[in-house]
Formats: sequence, C-alpha cells, structure tokens
Amino acid sequence: MSSAAGNSPGLLRLLVQTNLRQGWRRLRALREQSRLLSALIVLFLAGYAALAFKLFQIGLRFAGSFPGLGPVLIERMVFLLFAFLFVLLLLSNLVISYANLFRNRETAFLLPLPVPPEIIFRWKFIESVLLASWAFVFLVAPLLAAYGLHAGVPWHFYPATLGFIALFIVLPGAGGAWLAVLVARWLDRRTFQVVALALAVGVLALAAHYLRPVQMTEEQLETRVLVVLDSLLARTRFALFPLLPSYWLSAGVQQWAEGALAAALFFGLVLLSHVLFFGTLLFTRMGRVFYDAASVVQSRGRALGRWGWFRRWEAWRRHTRARRGPLETLLGAVPGLAPDVRALVVKDLRLFWRDTTQWAQTLVLFGLLAVYILNLRHFSTQLTNTFWVTVVAYLNLGACALNLATLTTRFVYPQFSLEGKRLWIVGLAPLGLPRVMLAKFALGTTISLGLSLGLIVLSCRLLHLPWDRTLLYAGAITIMAFTLNGLAIGLGVLYPNLKEDNPGKIVSGFGGTFCLVLSFVYIVGSVLLLAFTSPWHPAGAYRTGTWVAWGVFGGISVLLGWLPMRWGRRRAAQFEY
Amino acid sequence: MIELVHLVKRFGDLVAVNDVSLTVPRGEFFALLGPNAAGKTTTIKILVGLMKPTAGTARVAGFDLQRQPLEARRRLAYVPDFPFLYDKLTPREFFRFTAELFRLGAAAGQVEAWCARFHLGEYLDKTIESLSHGTRQRVAIVSALMHEPEVFILDEPMVGLDPHHARVLKDVLKERARAGVTVLVSTHQLSVAEEMADRIGIMHQGRLIAVGTREELRRRSGTHGDLEESFLALTAQEANFTEETAARTL
Repeated sequence: MSSAAGNSPGLLRLLVQTNLRQGWRRLRALREQSRLLSALIVLFLAGYAALAFKLFQIGLRFAGSFPGLGPVLIERMVFLLFAFLFVLLLLSNLVISYANLFRNRETAFLLPLPVPPEIIFRWKFIESVLLASWAFVFLVAPLLAAYGLHAGVPWHFYPATLGFIALFIVLPGAGGAWLAVLVARWLDRRTFQVVALALAVGVLALAAHYLRPVQMTEEQLETRVLVVLDSLLARTRFALFPLLPSYWLSAGVQQWAEGALAAALFFGLVLLSHVLFFGTLLFTRMGRVFYDAASVVQSRGRALGRWGWFRRWEAWRRHTRARRGPLETLLGAVPGLAPDVRALVVKDLRLFWRDTTQWAQTLVLFGLLAVYILNLRHFSTQLTNTFWVTVVAYLNLGACALNLATLTTRFVYPQFSLEGKRLWIVGLAPLGLPRVMLAKFALGTTISLGLSLGLIVLSCRLLHLPWDRTLLYAGAITIMAFTLNGLAIGLGVLYPNLKEDNPGKIVSGFGGTFCLVLSFVYIVGSVLLLAFTSPWHPAGAYRTGTWVAWGVFGGISVLLGWLPMRWGRRRAAQFEY
Repeated sequence: MIELVHLVKRFGDLVAVNDVSLTVPRGEFFALLGPNAAGKTTTIKILVGLMKPTAGTARVAGFDLQRQPLEARRRLAYVPDFPFLYDKLTPREFFRFTAELFRLGAAAGQVEAWCARFHLGEYLDKTIESLSHGTRQRVAIVSALMHEPEVFILDEPMVGLDPHHARVLKDVLKERARAGVTVLVSTHQLSVAEEMADRIGIMHQGRLIAVGTREELRRRSGTHGDLEESFLALTAQEANFTEETAARTL
C-alpha cells in the first residue's frame, strides 16, 4: 500500500487541482450570483479585522499599563489564548475530519477507484486542516498585528509568525484526524453521543471548579500584591505546560518579538520536528487504518449490542415503539397543539437529536456561557459600584443575545432548506408550507427563548438585581428571541438551498450571511441603545428617554422579525417544488 | 471475472451476506436480483472495495480485493445508483480527471466516441450541476467506460435514463459483454434481467438462493410464466423454508 502510494504523487496533485478548480468556480459563482453578498462578506470581514485589531490594541495597552505587571499579564494571556485555541482547533479538526473522511461523497467516490487509501487520506487531511483552521488564522491575525505594534517589533516578526502559525495548525489537524479515525473505528452513533455528552458535562464541571475565584482579603489586596498576582496566575499555569504545541507557538512568537531569535528559532524547530514526525506518520501509516475505519463505518453493528442488557432494552423498545414515544406524549400534553404541527415538531427534534454534530456545538456554546454566568456569583460580590453592575448586566444581555443569534443563524435558518428534496412531503400535506414555516418558528423560538431566558434570569439574580430590572432584561431577550427567530426563518424561506444537506454549507450562502450580519448589527445596536438610555443605578427611576428607546427597540424588532416572516410566508404559499 | 468465495458480512448481530459463493466468468452478463435488504448492495460494496468482508474472499479479474486492491480497481468500473460527480466541473473536465486517475494518456481519446454514443456532445462544456439526473448518469457511465474495464458493475443503472438512452446503455452493455467484459448489474427491474442477462442470481436475506439462466430458474421455481413469477415463487419458498427452520429450532 505504502509503496503504491509513494508511486502516485501525481494523484494527490490531481485531487488538489480538481478541488481548487471547484472552489474557485464556487467563489466566482457566488460573486456572479450576488455582488451584494460579495460586498457584504468583504465588508464584514474587513470590519471584523479592523474592530478586532482596535479592541486587541486597547486591551494590550490596558494590560500593559500596570506598572511591573503588564508584560507578565500580556505574556500569560498570549499563552492562555493559544492554549484555548489549540483545544478548539483540535475539536474543530475532529468534527471536520470525521465528516470529511467518513461522510463525504467524494471519499466514497474515490475508494473504488485505483487511488490508494493513503492518497485519499492525505487529500482529506489537507482539506480538513484548511477548513478547520482558516477561522483560527482570521481570528489571531488582528491579535498578532496588535501585539506586534504594541511590542514595537521589527518587520520580520510578521512573516516569521506566519511560519509559526502554518506549522502550528498542522498539529491539532493531525490530532483531530487521528481522533476522527479512532471515533469512526470504535464508536457508533449512540456510543459517541453518550461519550460526547459525558465528556462535555465533565469538562464543564471541571471548568466551573477550576475557574472558581480565590477569596482575598482587603489587606492582602493592598499589601501583598505579588501573592495575589501569583494566586491569580496559578490557575493559568496549565497553559505553560511545555509539551503543549500552543506553548511552542506562544513562546516562539514572544521570543521573536523580544529579539531573542535563537530561542524563537528553537521553538520553531520544535514545532517543525513535530510537524514532520506526525506528518510522516499520517502520510505513510494512516491509509490502511483509515480504510479499515471507513469499512467499519459502513458495516456498523451496534457497539453496545455485545451486552445482554442492551439487547434486552432494545427488544423492549422495539416492543413499545408501536406506542407513542415520550416526546410525542409530552407534546401531546401541550394544549392547542395540532397533531400535524406536533408531527412536524417531533420529526425536527428527532432529526436534530440524531445528528450529533448539530447539538454538540449548541452544548459547547451554551455550556461555556453557563460557566461564565455561574462564575458571576463570585464576581458579583466584588461589584459594589452600581455603574459596573449595570455594565456587567448589559454585557450579559449582549453575550446572551449574540449566543442566541449564533443559535438562530446556525440552526434555525437552515431548517426550511433542510427539508431539501423531501420538501414535497410536508409541502403536499394538508398543513401547507406557510404553516410548516410557522411551526418551525414556534419550535425555534420556544427552545432558544427557554435557554436564553434561563441564562439571563440567572445572571440577573447572581448580580442581585431587583425584580423589575430582571424583568426588563428578560423582556429584552424575549423580544430579541422572537425577532431573531423570525428573521432566521423568514430569510431561510426567502433564500432556500434545497440541494444541500449540510446545514453548515446552507448557512454559508447569501441568506445565511445576510442573516448573521443583520442579527449582529441588530444586537449591537439594540444593546447600546438600551444601555445608554437606561438609568445607571439599579434602583434609579426610568426616564422618558428610556421609554422612547424601548419604543424604538420594539419597533425595530417588530419590523426585523415580522417583515421577513411576512415575505417568507408569501413565498412559501407560492412555493414551487 | 468475478469470484466470491464463502463471502460473509455481519453488521453486529445481523448477517447481511451469508456464505455467498459465486463465479461470474469473463464475458458474462450477470443480473443480481433480490427484494429490499436482501444483501445485494452490501455484496456490491464488498466487490468494489468500499467495505471489507467479515469472512471469505472477493476477487475481481483474478485479484483479491483485500490483498491487491489497486490491481483489482484498475480493472473495475462501478456506477452506483446515485453517482458522485464534481458539480462545478464540466463533463469534459471530469473525463480528463478520470483519464488522469487511470493514467490513460492517449487512450482517453475514445471518450469522444462514448460521448457521441450517449449524446453528451452538447453538454460537454456545461457545469455538471446544471445537468439533469439522466444526463449526469450518462456522464458517470461514460467516465466508467473510459478505462475499458474488465469488470463492469452497475447498481440500478436505468434509473433516471429516458427510454432512448436506456436502450443505448443496454446495447453498450451487451457489446461489452460480447467483447469479454464481465458485467454485473444489480436491479429491481426484472425486465432488464430477463431481456439481457446470461445468468441471474437471486439473493434473499443475505443468501444467494438461486443462480442460473432464465430457463433454469423457471424449472427450479416450478413455474411456467415470466421471470417475475419465478422470482416471487423462489423468494416465497425461501421465506417459508426460513420460517419452518426457525420454528423447528424453537
């Protein structure tokens, strides 16, 4: 196998060329399809880069302004940031590699052809690393530019950093690809769901425990600054573990910035040697393993089927399956829910639950937000100034709303398109497409509102806000939930993509990008409007300006949520499929 | 030539392919029939190397799919029921891609003749995404024929083809078989098997329950009508036999 792969260097080049041509044509088609979309994307990307650069610059200047502590803080933040990004990249590579290697039609097309599995694996590995890492590069580029400017680095810092990053992204890519093959080889869908859930809960519990605050006395804060700093930094020491690739990257970049080129080069060589080692292993030894895993994925029996208790449980489920399941029973108890809408909701929930890659991302997103909000209970004891209490409350509202927008754009927007080639099933049913659309809106709003409302009320309680303020924030997030879901469902119907089964790809089209940009602008505008017109003392009286601002917020929300829904309903009523 | 020797494929507790042995010699047109979930697609997936058997061996043109997969695949062509094609390429570019994959060089010149035969000329420079299902199917068939395979495996090849191009494909398959190519077609269209196959194999619940010419199957089923009657009788006999065996075991 290996020798066959070694004799076929042209095949890899051919696959890369063909896919590059496809990618280029997709980009060109996008530009030709809508100049507005292209302009919007370019504007959004440039805006993000500029905004991120400015924020990083302000942040670095602020952290650096602490006499004696600034450089230590900045150094630790760089280590921390890259350590977290390493873990996220690993997860991202795992998900993308799995989909790319085992659920990809190109892979299934190539396997019966005289293309050695090594070559298929190499190409899919390269593709996965690029897909998983472009966002990372885009995210850290403004940071490194701001860091370079702050540290006053020479010009060669920038190309050297680029080299460091190019080497770095290969390592989580290699880890992700290896994990993906392992998951495919040993875990079926159910086992993977259980393992993923258990891991997510475990990680969140660990994070909540690890990030718990350290109690300091006033006396310690005033007189023993070094002890306080040490205990603050102790929790971040894991980022300095010298076997972490993120450590080599952070150390290399910072050494280069400081002019210690020999030390920086050392870390660069450490990265290079690991890339070469793991790259060689992947390129020469994983082909056969990948082929075995691909075969197992297609031949999957139930991994838990070897245990008697599982088989008995399955038999019991088969026996009881003729009856209504718990989900149907639960929804059956909802008053006024028509059977056709209930059937649609049950179908959507089941499909969502059975696609692990869908809900796993939601879990991570809301889990991290929950950890942050739970930690407010410690943080809030330090907040005595009412100004900061209000600022934190609005920041929470912003964070929850942005999370909500991510949820609606990523999961609610593609709901209509996901009916895909099966649209006729619901379209020809007596309930009609406008009602299908309303059912999806109701489902999306109920779930996203439940999650967001829970988080916002919890954060308000932890900040010890009075009930009227809590109701105010709850009201704001409720309005936003209706608006963002209306926007997502409406645009989803106005810009459907019925050819694509992958929700990630549906979202990346014109409608999805438009939805994300509109949601983002709406949230930032609304939170700023409400924050600047609200009384800054939690017990302060509401002013006329506050009510006017709420009126404007309500009006914009109704327009932004209702108009796309109205247009979408009209389109759905006349839909041709 | 295709050889399956005591082929077994298990999916956990389920035996999808149960001890199947079959030889399809060079130049034979073989039709594989069976009800849904009979094990036809699993057998084909093993034959084209998409899946490893739990036990037994599968050989294509004398090469073991597990031991010499590349040698086998060079001599094999496979057209699935819903073939993958690169949407943003044109058929011409896709054929060039296939030619390079198989290192055909000048031999790829024959693609023009195949395109003419399947009336693809006017579509050669349009992107594949803009083509109808039937035209895509024809593109996939031409790309599979380009390297002059010794073994040609097709899964429901007539799906999506209009009557005219279904006829063209049938003629091409017959010609290929006459030229020494082993053709294996999995289909639910009994008329295709009846009209074209030299021999027919019927799979049921993972087992190859009957193999033979149309006449042999008719004799074996004890029927006098067409292939449909023989097929229904044979699968019913097998179902009854399985139920009786299960009852005796209990």
